[in-house]
Amino acid sequence: MPSILGFGACLPPRVVTHEELAERLGVEPGWILEACGIRERRWAQEETVVDLAEGAAREALSAGGLRPGDLGAIILGTGTPQRQFPGVSAELQRRLGCPGIPAFDVHLASSGGMVALCLARELCRAYGPVLAVGAERMSDIVQRDFVKETAILFGDGAGAAVVSPAEGPLEILEALWAADGDFASDLCLDSGGPLKMNGRTVIMQANRKLVATVETLLARAGRRTGEVDLFVFHQANLNLLRQVARTLGVEASKVPITLHRYGNTSAASVLIAAAEAWKEGRFHFGSLGLLAAFGAGFSWGGMLVEAR
Amino acid sequence: MNTLDDIRALVAALAQAPLPEDPEASLFEAGVIDSFGVMDLVAQLEARFALKVPDEDMLPRKFESLSKIAAYVASRKA
Repeated sequence: MPSILGFGACLPPRVVTHEELAERLGVEPGWILEACGIRERRWAQEETVVDLAEGAAREALSAGGLRPGDLGAIILGTGTPQRQFPGVSAELQRRLGCPGIPAFDVHLASSGGMVALCLARELCRAYGPVLAVGAERMSDIVQRDFVKETAILFGDGAGAAVVSPAEGPLEILEALWAADGDFASDLCLDSGGPLKMNGRTVIMQANRKLVATVETLLARAGRRTGEVDLFVFHQANLNLLRQVARTLGVEASKVPITLHRYGNTSAASVLIAAAEAWKEGRFHFGSLGLLAAFGAGFSWGGMLVEAR
Repeated sequence: MNTLDDIRALVAALAQAPLPEDPEASLFEAGVIDSFGVMDLVAQLEARFALKVPDEDMLPRKFESLSKIAAYVASRKA
């Protein structure tokens, strides 16, 4: 059964506090905390999305005990590629020095890292170990149209995981991903334009889809919500995370929160949160972990893992 | 108590601001309920009226006002 060998993350060093943003936006610092609960986020300076992806990828490879030459494929989720084509994955592959294997982008924004991970689970059976990455420079988007509604929400960063077809420390019990294009215009970024978000629809659908993803994965595996030790969700909105946890009947201590330190890093967020949980030893022997994300499309996905 | 009164009572219990008299008035615009409150409201409606709101109906416009909620509940019970 495929397994995750290790996670990695890379955050740019520049910290943008809510006080700094408040001054630039002409709002009270308290308003930012009340609106989104995000005290600080990282915004890249000279670091490109490829730089961030490479940092996370190398850390994940090291955690998994692999070298780039061991990889069978690279999948990278991003909504903020630096070029229209080729994908960020192409430059990442060049930097890692592993030519001759499949490398492609998943252009899905917030669910991109999660879907890359689900795809890695499938492709590793045919290609060998797969590197799944989520990487974003969301600060480029919010600074292009600098308004308080979005400027306070997003951050930059990358997360990564290595998935093997063989046994490993985190066995993948179940995975799913899906999309519903009827909502394509409810969360979108037109070329060169501002981020458009129908917030109420996003929240209502995200809540439903995240809860359903968790319930479906557990039902397929014949497990119960109470057996899961860790719920690692896409870090979009603190109130949303609390509501999803409440709907599922999950105590807050089982839901890691990185949002208040990194903001919403879109495709990267679930992998960054997983990488932090990994480093903190929260995937302890015998524990069950559930990862899930929701994003533009709408698209969503999740994965149930068991620590061995 | 009719359905609209029932719904008014459910919304009042979750309200963050006074309910508008006009049943056509937007509960969102009046600050009565937000995106998260509407999720709680849907759960209450499902329990109170023994119905299931499917994912495709999880749209703000269906729960925008007291009258729209009442119309939606009626359509699901029909």
